[in-house]
Amino acid sequence: MTDPAINAPSGATSAGAASPAAPVAEAPVQARATPRNQWWDVWDQFRTHRGALLGLACFLLIVVMVVLGPLLWRLDATFIDIRAKNTRHIVACFGLDWGAIISCFLNPAEAEGLKVSWAHPLGTDQLGRDILARMISGGQVSLAVGMTAMALALIVGTGIGVLAGYFKRLDGLLMRFTDLFLALPLLPLLLVIIMLFRDPLRAAFGPAEGIFILIVFVIGITSWMQTARIVRGDVLALKEREFVLAARSIGTPSRRMVTRHILPNVMSPIMVSATLGIANAIITESALSFLGLGFPSDFPTWGRLLFDGTDYLQQYPERVVWPGVFISLAVLSVNYIGDGLRDALDPRIRGR
Amino acid sequence: MLDAAPAKKLVEVDNLKMHFPIQGGILRRQIGAVKAVDGVTFDIFEGETLGLVGESGCGKSTCGRAILRLYELTDGVVKIDGSNIADASTEELRRLRPAMQMVFQDPQASLNPRMTVAAIVGEPLMEHSTMSKADRLARVYELMDAVGLNRDFANRYPHEFSGGQRQRIGIARALALNPKFIVCDEPIAALDVSIQAQVVNLLEDLQEKLGLTYLFISHDLSMVRHIADRVAVMYLGKIVELAPRDALYSGPLHPYTEALLSAVPEPDPSLEAKVERIILQGDVPSPANPPKGCNFSTRCPKVMDICHEIEPEFDEVQPWRFTACHLYKETTNQTASQKAASTEAHKSAQLGEPK
Repeated sequence: MTDPAINAPSGATSAGAASPAAPVAEAPVQARATPRNQWWDVWDQFRTHRGALLGLACFLLIVVMVVLGPLLWRLDATFIDIRAKNTRHIVACFGLDWGAIISCFLNPAEAEGLKVSWAHPLGTDQLGRDILARMISGGQVSLAVGMTAMALALIVGTGIGVLAGYFKRLDGLLMRFTDLFLALPLLPLLLVIIMLFRDPLRAAFGPAEGIFILIVFVIGITSWMQTARIVRGDVLALKEREFVLAARSIGTPSRRMVTRHILPNVMSPIMVSATLGIANAIITESALSFLGLGFPSDFPTWGRLLFDGTDYLQQYPERVVWPGVFISLAVLSVNYIGDGLRDALDPRIRGR
Repeated sequence: MLDAAPAKKLVEVDNLKMHFPIQGGILRRQIGAVKAVDGVTFDIFEGETLGLVGESGCGKSTCGRAILRLYELTDGVVKIDGSNIADASTEELRRLRPAMQMVFQDPQASLNPRMTVAAIVGEPLMEHSTMSKADRLARVYELMDAVGLNRDFANRYPHEFSGGQRQRIGIARALALNPKFIVCDEPIAALDVSIQAQVVNLLEDLQEKLGLTYLFISHDLSMVRHIADRVAVMYLGKIVELAPRDALYSGPLHPYTEALLSAVPEPDPSLEAKVERIILQGDVPSPANPPKGCNFSTRCPKVMDICHEIEPEFDEVQPWRFTACHLYKETTNQTASQKAASTEAHKSAQLGEPK
């Protein structure tokens, strides 16, 4: 419909004659053959969301730091250098007199009344273990736990939500099951699960892997209910929309109905749940470690570091501040990414 | 067309019933049923357009959807091209789907907002053919040409189109599998008048080109008069009259049809003054609790005692003209002669009425 308008000037400028206008009009239609992959549109829209880009950059930075960090910072997270114990972080130099700050940064070993060192820029703990190294390896565990637990919760929650919403026969059963999980008191449940399964899993998979599986499972299994409820509600509403009826009149079977029509349309709430889920999982893991229920004490995670740091909050606040800052940063950046992604995935918002 | 050798029956609907259960009480047991479609019988011949008219809530759309078995039928037989779809299994039904398609009322709601036009129009092809991606795209372009959509729009989303264009997308989707039979469920109700004409003309052109058969559901009597070959009038889940278009519009038999037609505005002001409007009293009874006897007996201006007692049969009272009304039953059991006289009187009165 817009063709004549577009092609009229090009036809006029090309030769001035009427005859070349027809092939000119024909050519672009043929050339514009394959539609562009819509993920490019998603990316284009995502790029316009400044918060999301910032969040993505921040999150990637954290990921790169914890993944590549051990290659650059070769100190072992569990190496005990007892003589360097209780070293302050380098930022503590700012606490000195004005004149002494620069010399403290340049030559920390000679700083008056302050134990700082470039060998341990974030300081050491009460046993002389390097906090930067512990932050890096703790970040690996925390992020891995956060993302796997979120993925687990999301898969379970979305699966149950879609099944309950789409298949009326399963609805009552699955939703009562969800209510059952919602009604369980979380902390006592976690205590019981961890007490019961910690040792067998450790024996089966090794101390670190066993507890990783346990924590991921525990967090995943206790946080899928919100997603399930939200998804079910949305599916129930979507199921009555005419395009689902239209797909049925075409003969689309149920499984493809779900994957093609239902799931893309419940993407927004799932996205939101997912980003909140990562945040929640990291925080729950921190809380578990904080309570002493998570990973063993010689196995650093951000939550564990936070827990260990609280005893020294008065003298060495940095031991609490650094893990706290990184947890918050990771959570915040993921939330922004989720926000941007949700907008980008909705074609109605795209391009505005 | 009707005088010619009888064309092949493409769609045969026999005693179609679609009841929706009403649940109530603590145990959510079924305490009744909304009889949305309650025993409908008609045939559609190959290449014709059957108009299905009636007021809101009389079961037109439900009937259309039930014929394509988008609902599980309560009772009845629906044969499309010889195969009974009322009791076909899911797999059989899926194989039969390409022959019958549907154009929906609300073009906005019937298109998935997250799919591009190419994906929407290509979906039936994806489900029912093993075309390669390139072939499918070529076919999508062909269909877009057929319904008058610019090929450049293939990669756009439904919200970027106007109502008329969206309806064209819906029509293109319905055409994708070369169906024989299309149910048009008020395809023009959500469009404004200038676009209505475009879409109806498009439907007519396509019918001519592709030899389609339509069930055209509408409440717009003048549009049905324009497009349909035969017209069925529905009231409260039942067909009260089925007749060739011209015969129906010039001399309706059933009192409800008469009342319905009298509501069509007359464009000529000099004639408008002369038109005698039949205004029905009262409301449509609830389809959950239809009246005893004839469904229309509560509002019929020509109601008789028998109407409250016995449900009229849906019979061919004149060649090609079916109606369900006691006015035309000469062979009902009691007081036959008396009734026959009154019927004759009515008939002559009606036929004499200038229209």
